[in-house]
Amino acid sequence: MEPLTVMVVDDHPMWRDGVARDLEAAGFAVVATADGVTAARTRAAAVRPAVVLMDMQLPDGNGAQATAAVLAASPDSTVLVLSASAEREDVLEAIKAGATGYLVKSASAAELVDAVRATAAGQAVFTPGLAGLVLGEYRRIASGPSDDRAPEVPRLTERETEVLRLVAKGLSAKQIATRLTLSHRTVENHVQATLRKLQLANRVELTRYAIERGL
Amino acid sequence: MSRGGTAAVSRGGTAAVSLLGPQEDRKDSRATEPLWRAAQVFRLATLVYAVSYQVASVSDYTRPTLSWVMVALMAVWSGLAAVGLSRNTAARRWLVAADQVVVVALMASTRLVSDQDWYSTHQTLPTTLWATNAVISAAILGGPWLGVASGAAISVASALVRGQIDLDLWRDATAPILISVGLALGLAANTARRSHAQLERAARLTAAAEARERLGREVHDGVLQVLAYVRRRGTEIGGPTLELATLAGEQEVALRELISEQAVPSPASGRYPQHSDGDVDLRPLLRGEASTTVWVSAPAVPVLMARERAAEVAAVVRTALSNVELHAGGGAKAYVLLEDLGEEVIVSVRDDGVGFAPGRLAEAEAEGRMGVSRSILGRVADLGGAATLENTPGEGVEWEIRVRKQASGKGRA
Repeated sequence: MEPLTVMVVDDHPMWRDGVARDLEAAGFAVVATADGVTAARTRAAAVRPAVVLMDMQLPDGNGAQATAAVLAASPDSTVLVLSASAEREDVLEAIKAGATGYLVKSASAAELVDAVRATAAGQAVFTPGLAGLVLGEYRRIASGPSDDRAPEVPRLTERETEVLRLVAKGLSAKQIATRLTLSHRTVENHVQATLRKLQLANRVELTRYAIERGL
Repeated sequence: MSRGGTAAVSRGGTAAVSLLGPQEDRKDSRATEPLWRAAQVFRLATLVYAVSYQVASVSDYTRPTLSWVMVALMAVWSGLAAVGLSRNTAARRWLVAADQVVVVALMASTRLVSDQDWYSTHQTLPTTLWATNAVISAAILGGPWLGVASGAAISVASALVRGQIDLDLWRDATAPILISVGLALGLAANTARRSHAQLERAARLTAAAEARERLGREVHDGVLQVLAYVRRRGTEIGGPTLELATLAGEQEVALRELISEQAVPSPASGRYPQHSDGDVDLRPLLRGEASTTVWVSAPAVPVLMARERAAEVAAVVRTALSNVELHAGGGAKAYVLLEDLGEEVIVSVRDDGVGFAPGRLAEAEAEGRMGVSRSILGRVADLGGAATLENTPGEGVEWEIRVRKQASGKGRA
């Protein structure tokens, strides 16, 4: 089997190299590194990595912009946000821009390797913090002014809300599956759906914005 | 008597030059631009008045043709001055000086076009109203002192031209009006300049603070990277470095919370609803509890609620967390989740500790643990909210607290 290809986007050389070393040791192929949005975009287009590890603060932009740029250049890649500082709005923006996971930088090498593997397999990598943000975002959208022109307002099903709340309360997928008597796979699907709907709504929003502006 | 006019000219002239000084340099004159423009509108309106006065008086003049020439000069000067003075250029001070000279000269010309009967009992040819323009210009350019000086000079010129040395201030208000216009507009111009300067200083301070904050965030981010790296590598290496890793981890969490608080846009930026009086964001109060064993999850946008209620909720969370520390067992992690339901908030505090076996309830009570629970229940009830305790043996304890954001619904239990 071909090794999984990974690109590391981070402007701190210490991190870039350390993370690359850990990933190589775990059998991944680190095919590119980049220190900013522009470099990330051009290299992603050239090497088409399976997974992009994305820092949130880059010299020429933020992680959300970089995520959007990378996914535009290489649509089949998946993006895992790896951030030292913020579990806040910018992470939420990166998720809306298409990132499917989020990990704090202090996560251990083993956690990182697991997260990269999960991201490559199309799973969402959630921390309790991210679940809290996503949950809050859905509530914010639901409580916002209803807009007739926006039929695509994303809403969570009751089950999805239930799952997301348990993730935010620190339960693992396995614990959630046990508690709700669901299969592990179903729990994963619910979590992924919460992200997908948010990303879809974001794309619809951007398209409508572009059309309105005649872009 | 035309000599008197000349004297007044030189007085006005020197006054203008010596008092100009640094009062109005081109940079801060942006503050007075609206005044300058309004003054030019006034100038043109007064020209209409002066021309009408000429039409009404020309039949009484001894030299009507010359009087028309003078009025034509006045019109030309009005146009030139209006255009020149509405532009913020270095030539402005010379135009203001020339304004004084032209006004006094035109006043003096009254003696050339009329006889003593006329000029001693009537307005001068350019009219008092039009002459006010010179005072206004001087006041806006140089502030109250220059305004008053110009007003006084024009008044003296007018009195000399009309031969009214024993000026009767009660019958002729020319002097008081001109001087008070100079004073009032001068004060207005200075006030405009001062507030403009304050505004600029405030803008500069804000920009400096923002730059500092940005710089601080970058430095903090770098420190954070190193702390996270030490924590990660230290844990991997183990042994004595584990202690270093733990210490770095604690600082990392603290710094991360600090930075993310700074990154929150201020309410003044308009992105979020303004804090109404007495409302605070509950998130930072809860995030203060975050540590290497306590995770705090919250929405990305502020959760605003009444200050004292927020403080009480935070206190309840602290109590629940200290309970976790005491009873959940070593290595237990706690997860705080804040949800905003619009009218109310839900705060959950869950731990992944040992929980308590059903048979151990009495024991737990004896340990004081149930006392803490009762305290939480009581405090939440005081807020008109509800608290539930869920216990899964082996899987920890979970508190869920539901409280209204505002006290209005106090009656609800």
